[in-house]
Amino acid sequence: MPGVMIVEDDLPLRELLREALEKRKYTVVTASDGREAMLKFRPSVIDIVITDLLMPEEDGLSVIMNVRKVKPETKIIAISGGGKAGPGSYLTIGKTLGADQVFSKPFLPSELVQKVREILG
Amino acid sequence: MKTPGKSLTEPKQGNPGDAEKNLQRTWKQDSASLIAGGIAHDLNTILTLIYGYSELALEGLDPSSENYANIRKIIQSADRAKAVTGQLLSLGMEADQVRMTVQVKDVLRETLEFLRPLVTDSIIFREEILTPEVSVSADPVQLYRVFINLARNAIQAMEERGGTLTVTLDTRKGAEMSNLKAGTQAADKYARILFADTGPGMDENTAARMFEPFFTSGKQNMGTGLGLSVVYGIITSIDGQVSVITEKGRGTAIELLIPSL
Repeated sequence: MPGVMIVEDDLPLRELLREALEKRKYTVVTASDGREAMLKFRPSVIDIVITDLLMPEEDGLSVIMNVRKVKPETKIIAISGGGKAGPGSYLTIGKTLGADQVFSKPFLPSELVQKVREILG
Repeated sequence: MKTPGKSLTEPKQGNPGDAEKNLQRTWKQDSASLIAGGIAHDLNTILTLIYGYSELALEGLDPSSENYANIRKIIQSADRAKAVTGQLLSLGMEADQVRMTVQVKDVLRETLEFLRPLVTDSIIFREEILTPEVSVSADPVQLYRVFINLARNAIQAMEERGGTLTVTLDTRKGAEMSNLKAGTQAADKYARILFADTGPGMDENTAARMFEPFFTSGKQNMGTGLGLSVVYGIITSIDGQVSVITEKGRGTAIELLIPSL
């Protein structure tokens, strides 16, 4: 089954998304920030990365850039709940840097799972 | 339509020594939007959890069951919270506006149609569209947000005793404007939108602070205090102006002047 990496600093949300994806039989790897994500990223295992953008330590924008360097064909979904600039601005930057899809929080996990299914084909 | 009392315009400008006060006010509003953005970010994460676990809880439930209906109500409450975080993010958010030509009367009518089913029979809506073909350059979503906030404030003011909300649309020539802010260049023509209620009105101190983020008049059901600061931010970002006319015991009118096309 395709491998999904979830990069999200909020533990309960990380676990919710893990549960939603494992239920649909995806192999899931999680990380709490960009630094941990790149330590755990295995190109042979991960087909798609779902990353929050605003995180402490290393943020989602650096995840996008680093994943693209290591395995350019990896699919990437960026998510954001906003900050001073609002989710729209961060997500626009995410898209510019190479995210395949962007999601604004809050969203239904089923919508995210559906998008993963569509992107991976 | 008779509008009550004295006129107050936010903010006051032009006196020497006010520069520091304006700077402090700008800093306060920048800080407010920074804090608001941070809060909205965290709330949006929590809302995703509420949506997610509600969705999981609905799986396998009989749609006609009471538990199913109760969980749907949780989701509806999350929808309302999502609208509030949207307002939080609107504070100081000019970057995301997508401006286009907007027919003002269409957005006004949509606002009233949306709110009409939500008010009791004791509150009457009146439309005075004196100049129907008025358009402005604005983000229609933001304009809608402005009108919803103004209408909701008027409705809340009249909830106890009922009353009438009159929404007026007409135009003003730039040359006729006597209350433009100091240093502002007048546009040729302005769309004038007035939201006037027959509620209890405000005293001068309350009216002077009504556009501050998080300021409320103290009544428990008057909301988060963000609505009018959002209105002020959106209208001034499209070179418009907001004025308040209010008198205790006689109601409140909020006038928007937006350069028209």
